[in-house]
Amino acid sequence: MTFKSAVITFPGSNCDRDAVTYLEDLTSGPVYKIWHEESTLPNVDLVILPGGFSFGDYLRSGAMASKSQIIKDVVKHAESGKYLMGICNGFQILTEIGLLHGALLQNNGLKFLGKNCFIKKRDENQFNKSISNEKILEIPVAHNEGNFYCDEDTLKDLLDNELIAFEYCDGQYSLDEANINGSLKNIAGITNKKKNILGLMPHPERAYQKYHSSEDGKLIIESILS
Amino acid sequence: MNDDLILQHGLTLDEFSIIKNYLKRDLTIEELGIFSAMWNEHCCYKTSKKWLKKLPTNNEIVIQGPGENAGIIDLEDQDGIAFKIESHNHPSYIEPFNGSATGVGGILRDIFTMGARPIATLDSIRFGAITTDKTRFLLNGVVHGIGHYGNCIGIPNIGGECEFEHSYDFNNLVNAMAIGHVKKDAIFYSKPKTLGGLIVYIGSKTGKDGIHGASMASDVFSKDDEDDKRPSVQVGDPFMEKLLMEGCLELMASGFIESMQDMGAAGITSSSVEMASKGNVGVRIDLDKVPLRQPLSAYEILLSESQERMLAVIDKSNDDKVRKILQKWQIDYEVIGEITNTKRVVFTSAGKEVVNLPVNIIVEDAPEYDREFFIPRKRKVKEFDTKSLNLDLLIENLLNNLNYIDKSWVYNQYDSTVMGDTIKDPGQSAGVVKIHGTNKAIGATTDCNPLYIRINPIKGMKATVAESYRNLISSNLKPLAITNNLNFASPLDPNIMGELVLSIFGLKEAASYLNTPIVSGNVSLYNQTNDQPIKPTPVIGMVGSNLNYEKINSNFFKEEEDELFYIGKCLDPSFSPYFLQDQLDIHELYNFNDLIDINLDDELKAANFILESSKQGIITSCNDISRGGIFISLLKMINKDLGFKIQIQNIIDLFCEFSAGYVISINKNNIKKVSEISKKNNIDLNKLGVVKKSTIDINEHKINFNDLYRKYKKNFESIIH
Repeated sequence: MTFKSAVITFPGSNCDRDAVTYLEDLTSGPVYKIWHEESTLPNVDLVILPGGFSFGDYLRSGAMASKSQIIKDVVKHAESGKYLMGICNGFQILTEIGLLHGALLQNNGLKFLGKNCFIKKRDENQFNKSISNEKILEIPVAHNEGNFYCDEDTLKDLLDNELIAFEYCDGQYSLDEANINGSLKNIAGITNKKKNILGLMPHPERAYQKYHSSEDGKLIIESILS
Repeated sequence: MNDDLILQHGLTLDEFSIIKNYLKRDLTIEELGIFSAMWNEHCCYKTSKKWLKKLPTNNEIVIQGPGENAGIIDLEDQDGIAFKIESHNHPSYIEPFNGSATGVGGILRDIFTMGARPIATLDSIRFGAITTDKTRFLLNGVVHGIGHYGNCIGIPNIGGECEFEHSYDFNNLVNAMAIGHVKKDAIFYSKPKTLGGLIVYIGSKTGKDGIHGASMASDVFSKDDEDDKRPSVQVGDPFMEKLLMEGCLELMASGFIESMQDMGAAGITSSSVEMASKGNVGVRIDLDKVPLRQPLSAYEILLSESQERMLAVIDKSNDDKVRKILQKWQIDYEVIGEITNTKRVVFTSAGKEVVNLPVNIIVEDAPEYDREFFIPRKRKVKEFDTKSLNLDLLIENLLNNLNYIDKSWVYNQYDSTVMGDTIKDPGQSAGVVKIHGTNKAIGATTDCNPLYIRINPIKGMKATVAESYRNLISSNLKPLAITNNLNFASPLDPNIMGELVLSIFGLKEAASYLNTPIVSGNVSLYNQTNDQPIKPTPVIGMVGSNLNYEKINSNFFKEEEDELFYIGKCLDPSFSPYFLQDQLDIHELYNFNDLIDINLDDELKAANFILESSKQGIITSCNDISRGGIFISLLKMINKDLGFKIQIQNIIDLFCEFSAGYVISINKNNIKKVSEISKKNNIDLNKLGVVKKSTIDINEHKINFNDLYRKYKKNFESIIH
């Protein structure tokens, strides 16, 4: 069975090509490029909302994109239990749609962060099931608003239902603090209750080739496919 | 027209009388504005043109040399590489965030105007001494601005340089470089092809920002200028630029447009005049049709430098098709004029011709000056005593000097991995990206050694070009071509003019010898405030390639017990200017010895050795030796916990400058092979030591690895706060 996927492009998306290349290189099936004004998604197994600055981050990161034409069908796709993944700005869009809870505030250092971070699996789900609990993944981040925040009830919900997919951690030789951006509970990525939607701040699509600084980003697609 | 008005427009009275004698009539205020925009240093290179003509600009791989929006070189098969560097110095001092952001925006437009998709940016930024709040404000603003624009549009920043020095206290420098990939049969030029073509306006609406920006950039600052000149700084919108870039690339691929020109410095004036001049045609533009953000006079529209705007020529039959593509990207589009056969530039407003000038007087008759220049005097030889320096002090001096330590505080604010093709990111000797969908890698570096050039402009420039060359070679890139950004103080001072002229001679000599032609560039003069000039800062941006991206050398140590060697000639401390300045506190120019004239043939030999060894895959890492000597070169090679244990006869040699110098690490089993290649190339391979875990050991003197490495990586942040 071929694994089909789609990547949505909004005006200002800038990791859409990277996400398409990532899927083309690591999955066997077709990868559809979908413009935000389209109203129907093709029948696919995985949709990625890519990183970037959709609509120039006007209003709030992800806020305008969450109202795009295609989003209705993206929500339907997710409700049917199929995979939906938002990377960086895509994560911000997922919280603005309300598919994931919490919000991404400005980094606590008040600066854009473009460097490698270290994350590890916390709660198991379809996106990380092939990754061992001890494995430290080295993956680039590139964001100004990656500081995950939510109220106490939501946090309790995330903890009780085991929805924290990835958390920031120390790198073996890293001189930086584990929690790079001030995120609550070191949260780098969360899922919904059904665990078919993942929002992730780091960019696995920039860490899977030999020439990349790490190949750990492969593990997420490998988990989905396994 | 009174003299004050003319002088306010940056024209001399002599220049004005040339115009009047030619036209034999009075100028309109709009026409005066046009000459102000087109005859300033920034647009017509009136001081530098005579000398720039001497540079080598062509060889078998040059597809487009200077004169277009960017230079283009041939990278075999269907691939071309467009690149250019440009300054945004003056605006970045007045308003550092927007000044530097729009510098990045402008250089990116230069690249995609040629039909090339931008694939990387670099920068070269210089600030005054970090001791003042003003410098901290400028540093924060400039880095934020460069990051904001590039991150948002999604082009990786892969390298650059950042220096702090007193002469930039009141004139910081911001040079931005961009590289793009273009299929050779899809290159776009600014020359229109057909008469009767429609001139169309694409992009952001025109506002009041940036009026007189180009003429501001051609003047010295005086003390009260900061507030007065702020309205001349453009405001950037990278989201709009992203839409414009995607829209323009789609348009160019569609075949519906025939030529394109970026509205950069001097806005609609310079883009339309250049279009007419290149095509040897005329243009007629109705200013009432220009999309406006706010009510503007004809004069203001002509001189606005609002960002994210393009001018293109299309055939009438394609009007609707072009409109449709741009609607998708939500970009303003308006037909504003046409190409005529009059060879005149005509602008109308409210049905009246406000400008009607022959193209040739604006372009070909623009002034060209042969300014007086002095050649620096010969220097007496001085000896310096280094007895006061011991190893700990030498290291301490470097670790507390911003110019030597790790600058990740700067480049961690830049997205260097977007587009997924980055092979070497900032902080290494050169930035390298893979060309998407191919096996080719393209790398680049920006460099300048202002102190060298002040001491001896010819030799200093040769040394700077050689440093760029080594940065590329150490990554196993074949150096191909150069873009340059000549930043100088006022050329009206014959000493400064001498630095400009002689450094161009040095550039010519080195670029010719190394077969790296200059294909694009920029000149920024009058970088001085009152009578404090900047150090001469002709920045080199050099581009190189490797057709097999898997062969790129890492800067970083790979395995413990790999052996370390250096090659090249260590300079005596008395002839290492940065050593003298930063270790012995020598600052007065008269105290320095003349520069050693580097031997370019030695550079070629060393390069051949490195390239040949790298091709065989028998060196595990490589770094060039520059400011800070072998020691700094080694610190930059530390990888995770892999440090080094070395022996050297004279400690001072570790910190002195080099010619044709590289540090390499080699697996023990390959030493014989590498040594054979070195003999073949007449290179002396000098054993330095070994790669060793958690160790920094110099002549059995052990230094705490974690402590030293943390200082190297983290001192920058603590010093600037």
